[in-house]
Amino acid sequence: MHDNGRSRRRFLAAGASLGAAAFAGCTVPGMGGDDSGSASVPSLTSFRGSGPLVEGRPAPGGTSIEDLPDLSGDLALYLGGGEGGIYRSFVDALQEIYPEFNVEVLPGDSASLAQTVVEEVDAGNQRADVFWSIDAGSLAIVANNDAYAALPSDVTGPVPDSFVGADNAWVGVAGRARAVPYNTDELSESDIPNKVADFPDTAALGDIGWAPTYGAFKSFITAMRQLRGEDATRSWLNAMQETSITRYPNEYEVSSAVANGSLASGFANHYYAMRVRSSNPEAPIGLAFTEGDAGALVNAAGALAIQGTEKRELVNLFIRHLLSAEAQEFFATVAYSYPMIPEVEPVGNLPTIDELSPPDFDLAALADVQATNDLLRDTGVLQ
Amino acid sequence: MSLREGVAAPERPVVLAVAGALALLLVAPLAWLAPPLLGLGERALSLLVADSTLSILVNSVGLVAAVTAGTVLVGVPLAVLTVQTDLPFRRFWTVVAALPLVVPSYIGAFAFTTAFGPRGVLADLLAPLGVERLPTVYGFPGAILVLVLYTYPYVFLTTRAALLSLDPSLVEAARTLDCSRREAFRRITLPRILPGITAGALLAGLYTLADFGTPNFMRVPVFTQMIYAEISSPGGRGYAAVLSLQLLAVTAVFLYLEHRVGADDEGAYESSAGRGDALAFTLGKWKPVALGFAGLVAALALVVPVAILFHLLFSDPTGYANFGPTFTLEPVWNTLSVSLAAAALATVIALPVAYLSAVGDSPLAALIERATYVGYAVPGIVLGFAVIIMLNDVDALGFLYGTAPVLVFAYVVRFVPQSVGTVRSSLLQVDSGLTEAARTLGRTPSQAFRAVVLPLIAPGVAAGAALVFLTSMKELPATLLLRPIGFETLVTYIWVVREAGRYGQAAVPALVLVAVSTLSMAVILSQEGADG
Repeated sequence: MHDNGRSRRRFLAAGASLGAAAFAGCTVPGMGGDDSGSASVPSLTSFRGSGPLVEGRPAPGGTSIEDLPDLSGDLALYLGGGEGGIYRSFVDALQEIYPEFNVEVLPGDSASLAQTVVEEVDAGNQRADVFWSIDAGSLAIVANNDAYAALPSDVTGPVPDSFVGADNAWVGVAGRARAVPYNTDELSESDIPNKVADFPDTAALGDIGWAPTYGAFKSFITAMRQLRGEDATRSWLNAMQETSITRYPNEYEVSSAVANGSLASGFANHYYAMRVRSSNPEAPIGLAFTEGDAGALVNAAGALAIQGTEKRELVNLFIRHLLSAEAQEFFATVAYSYPMIPEVEPVGNLPTIDELSPPDFDLAALADVQATNDLLRDTGVLQ
Repeated sequence: MSLREGVAAPERPVVLAVAGALALLLVAPLAWLAPPLLGLGERALSLLVADSTLSILVNSVGLVAAVTAGTVLVGVPLAVLTVQTDLPFRRFWTVVAALPLVVPSYIGAFAFTTAFGPRGVLADLLAPLGVERLPTVYGFPGAILVLVLYTYPYVFLTTRAALLSLDPSLVEAARTLDCSRREAFRRITLPRILPGITAGALLAGLYTLADFGTPNFMRVPVFTQMIYAEISSPGGRGYAAVLSLQLLAVTAVFLYLEHRVGADDEGAYESSAGRGDALAFTLGKWKPVALGFAGLVAALALVVPVAILFHLLFSDPTGYANFGPTFTLEPVWNTLSVSLAAAALATVIALPVAYLSAVGDSPLAALIERATYVGYAVPGIVLGFAVIIMLNDVDALGFLYGTAPVLVFAYVVRFVPQSVGTVRSSLLQVDSGLTEAARTLGRTPSQAFRAVVLPLIAPGVAAGAALVFLTSMKELPATLLLRPIGFETLVTYIWVVREAGRYGQAAVPALVLVAVSTLSMAVILSQEGADG
């Protein structure tokens, strides 16, 4: 179908859009000589990030993009959040692999796009086919308002039930665990209580950092409200403010501050510590996980088909690509996300997803951010 | 003699109808704030006076008050220095002091937050010196600093105009009556330039009230931010409409005050063939202080942000390596195309409206002209919100939802007053004798208009179009709400990469915008030259 020169160019272009880091030091098996396939797919390992955390990983298992039908046609995508452009890079890579596939992206805040989807579907003005969001709560907003088109089970099949919405409304594509980054010069893992409820009374935690305006933190509080009730959450927030706690604008900065010693511990998603460690392997930062409570919440980035889309087949196939071995390896090694298919391992020395003890909790409940905002304002955390 | 005296060019009723219809079209979207408001029923009233609403009001008014005070403290001394003293390089300092006006304040806010944030450039530079933590730039202090730096030129320019129109003989008289220089300033100069100062301060206040980017980057919970947050949250539309209405009401108060001051102005501005700059007094030993002050303001508003942006070009302070969209020319073309379309459309609309208001003295003509100014008073976030509701509510308009023409429409609504203003003032300068001559030579009114008036007003029309073009390029909130899928402009590109924490990638588009802003200053200056 293509001569060698063209597939070579296309491959190189795909490499460029995935970023130089992903390809640093990779050999590229099968490149150029293979004219049999309809699409030239870069090798599995070329979807991998680089750096000390990634070296020596086993090849990812699961369904390869090569075994999936070709994507082709136009797709309109609402991209909520997006992990600093990493998801966008993956979309670009797909477009390089499939010249007939074209994605128009509208990036935005995840909750706000969810709201837009709901309103557009209501007004009959829906203009996007897929909603891919970093936060299950925003997917649940769309699901609760019946603005989705259910996914077939061959799409959701590979993913554990806890990361699939009711009625197959959405499917998780990458996981994020709440964690407690701590400075390993100042604390050891055993200093970190295994319940967040014990944090206010644990003086050993030293200077703590949090980022209460950050979406992931709000999800954590929303989960706490659901699991322990309004009053317990209120007293926890009040008690935390009595400790030596400092507010940061986001959780990357919390994790950086832990690594440089300004903080002894903090509240953050797990991957920020991995980012810090990736840029400085010597950084004295460790990760602890609480057990069975809101502090151990595992949230998911996921995708859904928007009701009224005329491209159900294309949407389904696109989401299957997000769950391919290559995509999962990419999210795991570049965004340091938890893979959603068991055949791909999390990066570095992270515990696997079944070694974590997330609470028994329906992620759809994360949609109730309003009451969390009120509570955070009431307690003065958001002042 | 002016155009006004009976030289009807194109048929007036036609022009009236066209202009009226256009004005109506521009104002129409605002009506769609009503449905979400009515949907609230009685809750609307309780929300209007709820504690959270009041605290937003207090925040907004507080920010406006602090910024306004700051602009007076910076703008008035600069105006006095450049008009009435022997400050070296006065012409240079005049241009430099006015320049921040055209730079969007969110560029400054972006630069300051990246530089002064906990992981910013300054923190990195100072870390080896043992400075561990910088005071935070976020919140009110940062927002006030940035807004003062980019809005004081309003006060600077109006005060300057007032000083220039000052009749020097008054001050001389006071001095002969044994007033000290300070007393003469206080008793003669100050009362005469006070309307100018007030007018500038009110303009700065209006800008602050409507500004979206700076409070967002600085995380200050004012009206524009809370409206945006409510639009984005489930069931928040009603409350967003309540807040929009309240913001419009506060804006109306400012416009009313400005109108009042404007009316009072006339005495102050037109006292005589003013030669206020003839009063230059020598700075003496204060010269270094004065230079230092002017230099400091210019450094903070212009040099530091640009330096930070250049620094960002070469270093990305966050942990991500080479991922995410790389900057391409696509946002540039997108920006150019919608802004050009807005400029063209605004000019087409401005011609009949300005023509009517220049030649006609009917109340209807005045009303139509005023109506086109409504967009000026409506903050971009409110306009974007209203347009979205309108397109979702009116089935017949649904096909326009999420298209580039809607974005162009919003720009036109917001910025057509600039075009109307420049076209109108050019029209008023056309000597009606010329059109009369053309008519005597057998031209029809519309032929005379095309042959005589159009060439004469062409520079003004072009300047108006250029201003609409340049301001559209910088518009943030409405663009954010209304842009089509897959359509990023320079401004939304900055927004997107900044939200993703990829500051380095915002540097190029931000620098392009600064360059564009400088261009709009050149247009304004050329207009000033033409007027004088």
